[in-house]
Amino acid sequence: MNYIELLDKKPDLVTPGTSACQGCPAELSLRATLKVLGENTIMCIPPGCMAGAGCVGWNFDSGLKVPVHITLLDNTAAVLTGINEAHGRDVTVAAFAGDGATSDCGFQSLSATAERGENVIYICYDNEGYMNTGFQRSGSTTKGSMTSTTPVGEVGKGKEQQKKDLPLIMAMHNPAYLATLSPSHMSDFVKKMEKAKSIKDGFVYLHIFSPCPTGWGFDGAKSIEVARKAVETNIFPLYEVDHGEYKLTVPNKNPKPVSELFGMMKKFRHVSEQGIQDVQNYVDKKYKTLQALVGQE
Amino acid sequence: MGKTIAITGNTAAALGAALSRPKVIAAYPITPQSSVVEYAASMIADGQLQSSMVQVESEHSAMSVVQGAAMAGARTFTATSAQGLALMYEPYFRMSTLRLPMVMAVAGREMTAPETIWSGHQDTISVRDAGWIQIYVEDNQEALDMIIQGYKLAEDKDVLIPVNICYDGFYISHLYEGVNIPEQSEVDAYLPPYKQEHVILDPEKPMAVDPMTPGNLVMKYRKSHLDAMQRAFAVLDKADKDFGDQFGRYYGGTVEEYKCDDADIVLITMGAMSGTAKAAVDEKRAQGVKVGLLKIRMMRPFPKQQVAKVLADKKAYAVIDKNVVFGWNTGAVYMETQAALNQLGYKIASLPVIGGLGGADISLEHMTNVIEKLEKMNKGDDEQECYWLED
Amino acid sequence: MARDFITPKGDEGIYQIDTASWRTYKPVMDKDICVECGICLTYCPVNSIHKENEKYIIDLSYCKGCGICANECPKKAIDMVTEGDK
Repeated sequence: MNYIELLDKKPDLVTPGTSACQGCPAELSLRATLKVLGENTIMCIPPGCMAGAGCVGWNFDSGLKVPVHITLLDNTAAVLTGINEAHGRDVTVAAFAGDGATSDCGFQSLSATAERGENVIYICYDNEGYMNTGFQRSGSTTKGSMTSTTPVGEVGKGKEQQKKDLPLIMAMHNPAYLATLSPSHMSDFVKKMEKAKSIKDGFVYLHIFSPCPTGWGFDGAKSIEVARKAVETNIFPLYEVDHGEYKLTVPNKNPKPVSELFGMMKKFRHVSEQGIQDVQNYVDKKYKTLQALVGQE
Repeated sequence: MGKTIAITGNTAAALGAALSRPKVIAAYPITPQSSVVEYAASMIADGQLQSSMVQVESEHSAMSVVQGAAMAGARTFTATSAQGLALMYEPYFRMSTLRLPMVMAVAGREMTAPETIWSGHQDTISVRDAGWIQIYVEDNQEALDMIIQGYKLAEDKDVLIPVNICYDGFYISHLYEGVNIPEQSEVDAYLPPYKQEHVILDPEKPMAVDPMTPGNLVMKYRKSHLDAMQRAFAVLDKADKDFGDQFGRYYGGTVEEYKCDDADIVLITMGAMSGTAKAAVDEKRAQGVKVGLLKIRMMRPFPKQQVAKVLADKKAYAVIDKNVVFGWNTGAVYMETQAALNQLGYKIASLPVIGGLGGADISLEHMTNVIEKLEKMNKGDDEQECYWLED
Repeated sequence: MARDFITPKGDEGIYQIDTASWRTYKPVMDKDICVECGICLTYCPVNSIHKENEKYIIDLSYCKGCGICANECPKKAIDMVTEGDK
């Protein structure tokens, strides 16, 4: 079954009507994720867009067709651990958490869970901020980005710090499997998710790039285009780390300048040439690090 | 009949937990609780305990791990103290409001600041309104026994509320006493395996555990929780009786009375200081003073009927609190006792006492001083301001 | 339905909202241009596109009208048209 057939034929385990915004790629990613992970899955979703969109449920109804629990914002990985310890290994125990819950307040529990090598799958959908509460900055927000807590004014120029590189930080925890995924590259996405599901000997971390039309300021029809541009500019390189072996799954021989991505949305509209260059330098350096890890100096 | 050995309160707590056969244990070390974690780990390392133990990075995660395990149907155990409990507060509240039964031992410790690691009740008292049942014990044997009874209480279908077994840091956690360790087979007979039915994370039976819930339903869930709290009195009494019938040790359920029947004045205590209080009562009784002791065993839910029953015909009582209620210049047990008596229509002269904070000594002399104040009140002295047991 | 209010749980059904009512534009596929590649299906966030009898079709029951399918179609076989126009 190729990935298109899989996405067509596998049961959609998410409610058909979520209140995620028009063109939200996190909704797409969650549906694709559960199509691959299947019915023998227990899902944890901390507060954030997907929980807010009704994917956990409302009143007496569930938002998913698999068992689902809304964890606290900061304890998702620990709850996964507990479920997994209680169940043993015959169930896929996974989380679908935003970047705030992952890179900020949930990081301590995530880091420890990875260090202990728990056999659970932690998936972060990275929309670069606390979008569900109105686009406040997170550690995962790209430098220069205007957010509701890093507004642009006479003095303010958006977020002043570079994006926290969570996938690489998690890679240094020596997980059994780690990958970056983009909804723009669904074949790669499905392959990685299948690999994640097959891992039985340790911790799995997946990081999905998830452009937010509402928060970032672009037309929802362009969500996939923006995600693709992030890959093409090396802002979000696609790679995997399989038991310590680094591999660029979508090699990028001729990266496009980050300015092409910056030009696609309102959140970067105010950023100066110098501001764009800062991010370009950071992205170039990060990519070199990645190439060194892959072994292509 | 088991065997009797000299062990610390922490070892007693770990043994009580082990005898209850938890499937998942998650804990993080903190003084004075650390040796609970160490002892449980060593039992697992020696193959004496078949639990999976998660060495978490914080108490926040300890409670989160056991919450996850409990949602998947496992019996769980953890232990902590003071700052650890404070860090745990967020999942602590979640555990009780998801009505997930478990037992957590708390080696009671004063809250920082001032920087301290020593004994106190402030840690658990500060979270007494987070939906847990809280039981305070007096000695090592009671710590072990109440952890086993705690599961019986927590897992009762009429209750389904997690239980704290609180024992004073150092005074109980680190002191050696002779403790009878029951046989595993006897504990198994008393405490059958737990099967969770109200929520379960299992792909065979998909459900959302804790979907978004509007206020009108939150009201219903809260009321149901409060109702279950009220049912816990009777369930504890039964758990106590069944335990006594099986193991020969009865504790009196929600409260323990000591020489209260003909008493005019009563001391009220909670936890380890009760032993000293009993000695003070004996000493004063020898001098002809009609004094008794009421030991509060269950702080949450507060056994107002049982407390009022004991105090109804008394002339005066004093409550010695090893905690404070900021803004009231008394401790919590005093306030709750007052509230109970007021609600039930009793007006009795009373004296709030605070002592033992941060491990400060509560001496026999302190106790007899309190009794002497009560004697004066019994002879007509006015109700007094809070009495601090200072050096 | 009688319910024991012990712990909030959703086990009575699937929560869903009528997202089709959000639409101002709807996707219309031109089958003369469509080459049945399935790209639109892989990107639809709402899982509204399926293959039936070897043809990809758009089910509008929950379609929010985001326009990703039209934007991503390599043959430009999908048009976003105002609701009620066609």
